[in-house]
Amino acid sequence: MDDLAYGTRNKRGDWSPNEPAGTAPLFVFPPQPLKLLKWLPHYFLPYNLLFALSAVAWWYWVLPPVEVMKFLAWGWILKLFFVNCIAVFLFFGAFELRLYVQRAQGNRFKYNGKWPSEQRSKAFFFERQNIDNIMRAFGTGLPIWTAIEVAILHAFANGYVPWLTFASNPWYLFALALVVPIIHETHFFILHRTIHLGPLYKWVHSVHHNSVNPSPWSSLSMHPVEQLGYLGVAFWHLIIPSNPIIALYQLHFAGFGAIPGHVGFDKVEVTGSTNVDSHAYIHYLHHRYFEVNYGDGLIPFDKWFGTFHDGSREGEARMQARYQKRKERVNAKSTNTPAAAK
Amino acid sequence: MPNWIDVGLLEDIEQEGVIRFDHGGRTYAVYRSPKDEVFCTDGLCTHESVHLADGLVMDYEIECPKHQGAFDYRTGEALRLPPCVNLRSYPTKSEGGRVSIDVG
Repeated sequence: MDDLAYGTRNKRGDWSPNEPAGTAPLFVFPPQPLKLLKWLPHYFLPYNLLFALSAVAWWYWVLPPVEVMKFLAWGWILKLFFVNCIAVFLFFGAFELRLYVQRAQGNRFKYNGKWPSEQRSKAFFFERQNIDNIMRAFGTGLPIWTAIEVAILHAFANGYVPWLTFASNPWYLFALALVVPIIHETHFFILHRTIHLGPLYKWVHSVHHNSVNPSPWSSLSMHPVEQLGYLGVAFWHLIIPSNPIIALYQLHFAGFGAIPGHVGFDKVEVTGSTNVDSHAYIHYLHHRYFEVNYGDGLIPFDKWFGTFHDGSREGEARMQARYQKRKERVNAKSTNTPAAAK
Repeated sequence: MPNWIDVGLLEDIEQEGVIRFDHGGRTYAVYRSPKDEVFCTDGLCTHESVHLADGLVMDYEIECPKHQGAFDYRTGEALRLPPCVNLRSYPTKSEGGRVSIDVG
């Protein structure tokens, strides 16, 4: 497939799409019903349906009976932890294997012309992005993921929070399942915008931004505080009347769903002539430019707050205008003392 | 009154290149432009304190090796996100094949 029919590649080898990145036609005024209908399948396919089904699968095949989850015992918790690890390894690893190890589609549709495995940086453990990212994902990410999961299941099992059943509240729970991505987007935008501020960026979020050229393993490579905040989106289901399967879906949406934004390719080729859109460009631009696209575009928060960058020249110009203003402001305040040698 | 500090030989800096120079507990980046002019700025990126001597010089820009932010090394002006704070720049001269900087 000729990726230059869909975009351009610069001298560095970085590919960018011709079409500017768009936000979902939700929350737009005036409403755009036709555009919304055309977009609607993307709301479910392929990822959201997959994550919802995974929650159901976990409930029936991985988790023990409710009576067991009333008690915190190593047996079921460790089983859950290992299943989560294996699932993440297989799911993220499948993208990594095909796109980055086998390089099955070469650099076609690849945003960054360089390959993380070929770049060493002192920012990473052992100067290797993949090793660093894997250590962070499995060393702290999966234990935190599992801890959140256990806390939520334990709370439901013991009746600490209301447990609505699908039999008695089918329409409410169906509607709640539909808004899981919206809860995620809102939580993510607020958290993400907050950890870009001052010391929180320096001590917490900079770890994730070490991966300027993100790849699948970068998805959950975060400081533990960020992992707790990010995956903690599932705790909303302890506040909103809910059901443990929907809480699991919310958690899986965050955990497994971290990958689309970090896959590094605009399209994943399935066969020679068919491909799947990754919808990763908005978040790739965030990793590239930092101060744009704090959200993923489901809700146009960045448009509302003036931080949206769609990859177009106009978007670039808007970003540069904000950058000039910010530079003037910070340089007027800066004492600019000479850098101490380390 | 300038206080010129000897950095070393001009030929030790590649054309369109940069070296690290430490002096008095401070660290600097010393550049040689495509036209053999010399310049000096603080050594660390104002974003995350990574040494710019590990970065890439292109024309009159130095690109930080970590996040690819960029500065104009003639003036120290930040040119591309993520850095917003300008680098401090210092008077620099090349005489008799040797480079000197005045860091005050």
